[in-house]
Amino acid sequence: MWVYFQIAGRNLLQARRRTALLGLALVFVTTLLVLLQALSAGVADSMRTAATTLSTGHINVAGWYKTKPSDSAPLIVDEKAVRKVVEENTPGLAYVISRDRGFGKLVSDTASTISGMTGVDPKQETRLIGALTLAKESDYKEGGSDKRFGDLTKLGQKGTIVIFAGTAKKLNAQVGDQLTLTSQTFQGLSNSAEATIVAIVEDIGLLSSFSNFVNNDTIRTLYQLKPETTGAVQVYLKDIADSDRVLGVLQEAFKKNGFELVPHESKAFFQKFETIQNEDWTGQKLDLTVWSDEVSFLASIITGIDVVSYFLIGILIIIIIVGIMNTMWISVRERTGEIGTLRAIGMGKWRVLLMFLLEALILGAIAAAVGVLLGAGLAIGIDALAPRVPFEAMKFILLSDKLHFVLSPASLVKALFLFTGVAGVSALFPAYRAAKLPPVTAIQAVM
Amino acid sequence: MNRLPALALLAALVAAPVAHALEQADVDKLVKQLDDRQRNGGDYRATVFLERKERNKNDTVSEATIYRRDATDRLVILFTKPKEEAGKGYLRIDKSLFFYDPSVGKWERRTERERIGGTDSRRNDFDESRLAEEYVARWVGDETLGKFTVHHIELKAKDGVDVAYPVLQLWLDKETGNLMKQEEYALSGKKMRTSYYPKWKKMMSESKGAEVYFPGEIRIFDEVEKGNSTTIVFREVDLKSVDDAIFTKAWLEARSR
Repeated sequence: MWVYFQIAGRNLLQARRRTALLGLALVFVTTLLVLLQALSAGVADSMRTAATTLSTGHINVAGWYKTKPSDSAPLIVDEKAVRKVVEENTPGLAYVISRDRGFGKLVSDTASTISGMTGVDPKQETRLIGALTLAKESDYKEGGSDKRFGDLTKLGQKGTIVIFAGTAKKLNAQVGDQLTLTSQTFQGLSNSAEATIVAIVEDIGLLSSFSNFVNNDTIRTLYQLKPETTGAVQVYLKDIADSDRVLGVLQEAFKKNGFELVPHESKAFFQKFETIQNEDWTGQKLDLTVWSDEVSFLASIITGIDVVSYFLIGILIIIIIVGIMNTMWISVRERTGEIGTLRAIGMGKWRVLLMFLLEALILGAIAAAVGVLLGAGLAIGIDALAPRVPFEAMKFILLSDKLHFVLSPASLVKALFLFTGVAGVSALFPAYRAAKLPPVTAIQAVM
Repeated sequence: MNRLPALALLAALVAAPVAHALEQADVDKLVKQLDDRQRNGGDYRATVFLERKERNKNDTVSEATIYRRDATDRLVILFTKPKEEAGKGYLRIDKSLFFYDPSVGKWERRTERERIGGTDSRRNDFDESRLAEEYVARWVGDETLGKFTVHHIELKAKDGVDVAYPVLQLWLDKETGNLMKQEEYALSGKKMRTSYYPKWKKMMSESKGAEVYFPGEIRIFDEVEKGNSTTIVFREVDLKSVDDAIFTKAWLEARSR
């Protein structure tokens, strides 16, 4: 068997130019696939990080409260009772926080924007505070300096708000400016609250364009909420991968404790208002979701990237197959005499096939390995540099302000096997035809 | 003796405000009268033009037809111009407001806070006045508004009533009882909207057996986003009977086909 590898290797080296060209093409496509897969995984990772920092826990226990059938207030009326069930029944629990949810208009002196508002207590939100970075003034003010203004700890004071750089730019606002928050209470009455901007932070991708953090007392005043209510209890696990399993455990636990639940739907809470409004019940029902439910409206972006990647790679694979097949045909023709000689001295058809196949497989394996290493190296290097995404549209698609790549050993191995296999499959038919050549016909090429 | 007329004049001036303070019953009567004058026993139809000014944006104008049946609390607002807005409309049945968009083909429930056609107007700007039903009134004082002498009245929403703004300040013309100016406040006390009623018209209603008043024009100013305003002009008001079918979802849907 080793002889066949030697023959294959020698033949590859003899046709150096052909081997190099095919090899380069395979390296290029493998590198591209590795980068695209890493980019897609990076986008998913960015989405997960942004979502679980800004808007959702690994698991969310939210509530819907209706005083009349046409209501749909996103409230938990007894936060303590819900937290107790969570704390006593969640396997692998890391910690729990409560957040109030709001939606309304932020109005500055010169502009306004519709935005989500999250009421937070900074004492509970060490992870959030740690994840937010003060933005440079130049991020939100034309001609601004590189200085970073603001103090996140001031969010503990009533009448304060932290906004993202994109929102600050839209509102022409700076640290210290006052914003008017307008919305309606859950009883339907117009209300407003004033909030001073205590910090402007760097954007964390698309989600930060409709998120803002308000001191939770301010949200309670705006929505006229009682102290025992909250919007959602957000559960963080030691391992996010357990979310789906733990969701099931919590659903059972809440039912056992006498809570009613709305049927699970893989949608963000703000997509459920109309459904809840049209349901004919009153009182309190809980709504349990995992983090991926809350950002399901963004999942199509990742699907889109994957579809485009696979389409592109698919086209390139077809080109590679055609290239390899063509090259193998040339090789078979050039070596017809060699085939005839080998067959004449007793080499079987299948060994002739194996010989040609091995050439392609060795070329594929080496080129794919180089491509995988190159792709992985590029992905790691670019990710370390974390370059800023220059265009708004790209930021929207990539769900991040910076390019982020995530490698997984499984995807690297898949890429290696895929292109080794492609090379092998491409060579199969020419190798088969070479093997089928009658020895008499083949040896006449020598004479 | 020379001082007596001066003293009498001074006494009269001091006594004047006290003598003109309105009793609660009078205040309630004023508010009820405001409602009654605008209410029609039968149907109401009008063509309205809405001009919206928004800071840093181009002005927009749209045309709509209003159908009302006060006896059964029904209201339809059907947009007819421009082309992009034509076919969109609102239907109020009992206390629920629904919005229809023909491009989507869906009905959506909306609240009292709904900005009609994306303007600063609200449902109650087009509907019958129900201030006496929804609010508790308090006389603030007599003031002047331009060349008019007006009653300044404060209204606070009754508990459990679904209104857009919980606190209203009204200025009613002392002579005619017509509403001249209205300020709307949020729960926080922040002024949200100011509306002016420069023109009032009236029409004889056979079904009511009396005159029905309606504003010729309403000018609404957004007090939160300064620079934003909406002007509503009412034209072609008609108090003849309107087909029952108009106050149904099917009718609105059929308009866009």
